[in-house]
Amino acid sequence: MDLARTIAMATAGLKAQTGRMRIAAENLANSESTASKPGADPYRRKVPVFRVASPIDSEKPAVLLAGTKFDRQPFPTRIDPGHPAADASGAVKFPNVDPIIEQADLRDAQRSYEANLNVIAAARRMMSRTIDILRG
Amino acid sequence: MDAGLLGALKDRLAWLGARQTVLSRNVANANTPGFKPEDLVPFSPRPLKPGGEGSNELAAAPQAYQTKIMSGPVSLEDEMSKLGEVQLDYQLASTLYVKSLGLLKIAIGRK
Repeated sequence: MDLARTIAMATAGLKAQTGRMRIAAENLANSESTASKPGADPYRRKVPVFRVASPIDSEKPAVLLAGTKFDRQPFPTRIDPGHPAADASGAVKFPNVDPIIEQADLRDAQRSYEANLNVIAAARRMMSRTIDILRG
Repeated sequence: MDAGLLGALKDRLAWLGARQTVLSRNVANANTPGFKPEDLVPFSPRPLKPGGEGSNELAAAPQAYQTKIMSGPVSLEDEMSKLGEVQLDYQLASTLYVKSLGLLKIAIGRK
């Protein structure tokens, strides 16, 4: 039935957005995670990658979190000679995570999540209207 | 029984259900890079079968619904307003269905 598939598609959307929020949370939690050895790389920001999983008439989920990629931006450095990860010149590499970008990403994920919830609510209302024909 | 008003309303409800599926796929892929949103081509009712006097049989059942690819990335606002439209149309069609069933019930002497 079409409406049941609608709900399955919206659920795939919910899962994808949840995964995206999880990655943003991971980035935020690690926004100060430096290395512990001199000159080593700190935490590198992760980026979620979505993929259309199936054509419209298939039973498979509509969208998938295809995996995570790493952000290729360079690490910012701060001078802190006493830090365990400081190199010979006293510079420490910090993660390339910008908390403001992560916040914006979280908001966007939340918005998309709500949109998918609305789709589910709409499909359920349509189903119950169909059932109301029986009561008519 | 697949005739006249009830048959046409049934087609309409099925088409709205299919449109809801297409729109939900757009919303699910709102953040997928390179995804182009789709929509169904507008609903057109089946014509009445050319027949004798007073025929209200509908022509052959519709085939699969045609989709068209919309331009640009998914706009959640557009999708939400289309979903609202589908809701209203669905409510209208299902209410009309109940009402015309009621007419039939009156005709067979039950209320």
